[in-house]
Amino acid sequence: MITNRINPALVLVTVAVLTPSLIGAPTKPAPDQTAHADAHRGPRQVAIERYFRDELWAKVVESTCLNCHTANGDANDSGLILQDPAKLTPDKRSSAVHANLAAFHKVATALKKGESVVLLKARGKLAHGGEVVLKPGSTRYRILEGFVHRVTGDGHAPTKDVDAYDPPAFFDGVVMLDPQRLLRRVTLSLAARLPTEAERAAVAKGGLDALDPILDRIMTEEAFYDRLAEGFNDIFLTRGYDGNGEEALSYNHFGKTRLWYQKYDLSHIKDEKERKQAGYKLAREYREALLREPTELIKHIVRNGQPFTQLVTADYIMVSPYSSRGYGVFDEVKGKFKNVDDPYEYVPVRLKALQHRNGRDHQVTPTGYFPHAGILSTFQYLKRYPTTETNRNRLRARMYYQHFLGVDVMALAPRVSDAAAVSAKYDNPTMQAPDCVVCHKSVDPLAGLFQDYQNRTNDYGPRKEGWFDDMFGPGREGVDLPAEDRWRVLPWLGEQTAKDPRFAVAMVEHVWTIMTGRDVLLPPMDIEDPVFTSKRRAYLMQRDAIEVIAARFAADGFNLKDVFKAWVRSPFYRADGLATVVKHPRRRAELADLGLVRILSPEQLERKLEAVFGKRWGQLERQTAILYGGIDSKEITKRIDSPSGAMGAIMRIMANDMACKHVAVDLTTPKDKRRLFPNIEMDVIPGSSAEADQQIREAIVHLHAHVLGRTDKIDDPEVERTYRLFAGVVKDAKAKGRYEKLESYFCRGADGQRVPDPHYTLRAWRAVVTYLLRQHEFLYE
Amino acid sequence: MRRDFLKVCGWAGMGLAMPVSQSNLVRAEPKRPEPYAGPYYAVFNASGGWDTTYLMDPKGVNGINRLYKDGDIVTRGKHVFAPNAKHIEVGMSNEDFYKRYGKELLVLNGLDYSVNNHSPCKRYMATGKLDSHAYPTFAALVAACRNPHSPIAFLTFGNYSATGNLVPMSRVPYIPSLQKLANADGVNGSSRHMYHDDFVQDRIEATLAEQAEARVSQARLPRVEQAQSTLYAAQLNSQALKRVTPHIPKDTPKERLARQAEIALASFKAGVCVSANLTMGQFDSHANNDPDQMRLIPELLSGIDHMLRRAEELGIRDKLVVVMQSEMGRTPNYNKGNGKDHWSIGSIMFIGPGIKGDRVVGATDEKQFLVPIDPKTLKTVKEGGVRVRPEHIHAALRAKGGLADDAFSKQYPLDVPNEERIDGLWG
Repeated sequence: MITNRINPALVLVTVAVLTPSLIGAPTKPAPDQTAHADAHRGPRQVAIERYFRDELWAKVVESTCLNCHTANGDANDSGLILQDPAKLTPDKRSSAVHANLAAFHKVATALKKGESVVLLKARGKLAHGGEVVLKPGSTRYRILEGFVHRVTGDGHAPTKDVDAYDPPAFFDGVVMLDPQRLLRRVTLSLAARLPTEAERAAVAKGGLDALDPILDRIMTEEAFYDRLAEGFNDIFLTRGYDGNGEEALSYNHFGKTRLWYQKYDLSHIKDEKERKQAGYKLAREYREALLREPTELIKHIVRNGQPFTQLVTADYIMVSPYSSRGYGVFDEVKGKFKNVDDPYEYVPVRLKALQHRNGRDHQVTPTGYFPHAGILSTFQYLKRYPTTETNRNRLRARMYYQHFLGVDVMALAPRVSDAAAVSAKYDNPTMQAPDCVVCHKSVDPLAGLFQDYQNRTNDYGPRKEGWFDDMFGPGREGVDLPAEDRWRVLPWLGEQTAKDPRFAVAMVEHVWTIMTGRDVLLPPMDIEDPVFTSKRRAYLMQRDAIEVIAARFAADGFNLKDVFKAWVRSPFYRADGLATVVKHPRRRAELADLGLVRILSPEQLERKLEAVFGKRWGQLERQTAILYGGIDSKEITKRIDSPSGAMGAIMRIMANDMACKHVAVDLTTPKDKRRLFPNIEMDVIPGSSAEADQQIREAIVHLHAHVLGRTDKIDDPEVERTYRLFAGVVKDAKAKGRYEKLESYFCRGADGQRVPDPHYTLRAWRAVVTYLLRQHEFLYE
Repeated sequence: MRRDFLKVCGWAGMGLAMPVSQSNLVRAEPKRPEPYAGPYYAVFNASGGWDTTYLMDPKGVNGINRLYKDGDIVTRGKHVFAPNAKHIEVGMSNEDFYKRYGKELLVLNGLDYSVNNHSPCKRYMATGKLDSHAYPTFAALVAACRNPHSPIAFLTFGNYSATGNLVPMSRVPYIPSLQKLANADGVNGSSRHMYHDDFVQDRIEATLAEQAEARVSQARLPRVEQAQSTLYAAQLNSQALKRVTPHIPKDTPKERLARQAEIALASFKAGVCVSANLTMGQFDSHANNDPDQMRLIPELLSGIDHMLRRAEELGIRDKLVVVMQSEMGRTPNYNKGNGKDHWSIGSIMFIGPGIKGDRVVGATDEKQFLVPIDPKTLKTVKEGGVRVRPEHIHAALRAKGGLADDAFSKQYPLDVPNEERIDGLWG
């Protein structure tokens, strides 16, 4: 079995103690595994355990001894049998760790000719089956020596870097987002809107506990489902398949229907130009409808509270009035639509077994239906990850592992001493060369399961020459495809996947990615890194949270909404600041990934602008979206997470333009309809009176709350700073004396006219809004 | 106010460039951002895996090539290359490329990618590190070391582009995009109609600077520190994009690599860019290898030629280092579909200041297997010797770029023992 993120999960306390805080016991900081574990033992034993955990296990054993010294490993008859905590349920890990420590203690203290047996074995002595594992003098060997010295008590001084740092509880000193700001974060992130007054009041009264019912409501809103689709497309990239949308449907099976729009009767449109435009629109919307189908499946599953395992098991696809015509099933399903003219209303449908245009090579199934397997068997997914005669579906197998089990089989490809020579040495390296077999024995059986979906044109049907017999046969993780399931290979795969614990973990990781814009942490690999242990601690803490959420997700019926709620409650999502400045490099490394701190994507920024101003900017599309770090799901598949100067320029343009478009309009709109300035007018001049200054500061407090989500008091330094900007601009203008008494020609009022600005206050407010829109609090989540 | 402003300018960008476990202010020095004056780096990626036997490492024997025999192989100076002028329709032939650039071209044949899958190979070639996702590409590293404050210090058009969290990456897909960015404070990009009066704009910038400075002493999560610093730098440094305007070409080339080259060149010339990662895909010729490679190699060479010629016209050719690479080679045999599959041995080429041309280092044998070299003499050896891998190339590139001792480089060390270093590669 290929394991997903390597999870040594070396905890010295039970996960039962650890986990509630990791997934959101909201009121107390997380108990620290290290501190907790250290409480009841003597300092020497604590030091030994920490050394074993942080040094020997993390840097040596996992990557060496554990490969053979397990009950099922090659060294299962040796005197050192270890348990891999990553393969155990959380409740058994603690005892496994202690057993491992005891096992190592035994071989470390056993002597042969006055020297520790474990050191001799590591050097290949005493007939060690694994021969030389550690070279004397190497970092790993020195760590093993350090362990031996510690347990034998021979006076070897503990190394400074290991023992000098006494880590605090993991979330100690981390300030969590207050409930009101958390509310704003989730409404903006998941529902593209600001919180309602009722929601604010509920949270003010009930705190964090009031958030769950609000989240339940948010996750019924259409904006949430759009966000869900966008987020999962960032992962599956199904919108990025080659060619026009209809090219997902093969010519051989849908040749008569997939271009239905070309013959669609638009004769009722008399004007030729209009008719042409209507035809273009029809094609455009049909293609878009097809592109959306895979994520519409996800929306349907979540909206209806179906188990998210349907992602890989659903025996239906989602079709719209337009896309159903492409499959030739419109007449069959049209009664299910509320509006047959809505290209984007989707309903589930089971396709019948495919009919080949040649009249012979039809798909034959016992049920008469196409064997659907959720997104796995959608034509869009298959076309997004095409295959060739030489690739043999291995790309699809790789993506399967990545998307549904959270395993990147290509992540850390083992180095081969001479890959070309290996290729030449063996007749069939992928089945014979050990260096190749290690991966291909997992990847190739999976690839074989896609054998009926062969090529770039998405034709269905077995390969004429039969599936390749020079690769491992179809199956999954050591289980051969049962003959009776041959006609339904992908549903069989989906069923196996749904039962795999890694599926739930992968989905929890996907939701994390959607909510934070970044991948989950990977285990650190560089044991020479001075902050290796700190990075590993951060990794393990996050991993524990993921596994706990995944376990609950699976136990409670795979409702994906529960995962969103669990992450929102989690301190990983709520971490917002520090109580005091942290300077210790190891502590900083532990905290390095904490905090959402995500630059808004082009789509998110547009939605936030709409939520704040009532209108989108409308510029962050196509080329500008790419400039602003967006993706096209084809060539550009990773969003930029750190702004360059190019993105900085777009931020400036956006801030200038949005302020220009909205400040004068808002200030010339009736007060009760204003978003930005509900309590002030342009004739309030800074410095003119104490009341005026108070009013300006109150207006700033409102702007800070509305635009930035801050809850400032009137004497907050940031309010003062903004006030100084506003007052400074007015003062500078006055000092200049000569300025136009009208707002800019380009920044007009609600009636479309230029707005008088005799005191320069309107332009000063525009400067303030520009300033706020360029801030971190606005541009980041 | 102005002094403080510049002080924050010095801080700007350092947040991203420093590891979060270290103080972001360790290397902070007040300084006025100046146009970056070179050297510039352009890395061309033949994405998908080029067939080296149809370019710089010709064979013509053992059925490796169907379009020519060993007797057809062309020699020019020290270079030996595959003939293809008769087989191409558009683009630049090998014959023309070597004729024009052979004297300044350095080729290394027999590069061991160690594995033969696209994803790890791309990562390995781009970073010099096979088993890590964390390492920056060379282009990103050199941008971070040379001038991370440039608004588009590291420009990428695709392919593996990890930054190691050292410098932001920029994507500028189209030439008109440059114009859009150049005047961010002008209405619709105009330099005549500004959104704010100058004194207002100054106030806004000063207030942002003041805020950035105030935050330095606040207790913040490392990610927040980094993000706020990077954001401030991005907006501040973006003002330098004004310098690009005079260098934006009036006409947009039709060829995809030439378009990328023009964007990179305008940015180099304006002093706002250090390195560019250019890419051209579709080299993965599992089916019909020869027609594909005969179409793509000339297109690639044409793009490289475009960049070098235009760099000459812009007066920056003497500061431009060009690296030409692919993530893998192609097998010495054809498959049943007349294609060639992945091969873990390949080649790399270089042109630029400080690189002695008319040289070929390393080799593959008649079956396209790697022949090791003596790392000191760079001559092929039968016994012992070094199998040149991407980390050897990257170590040499770092040495050439003066990056080897930079803190950023040291943050991402390469596994090259001293006795294996090929620092003499550049001649």
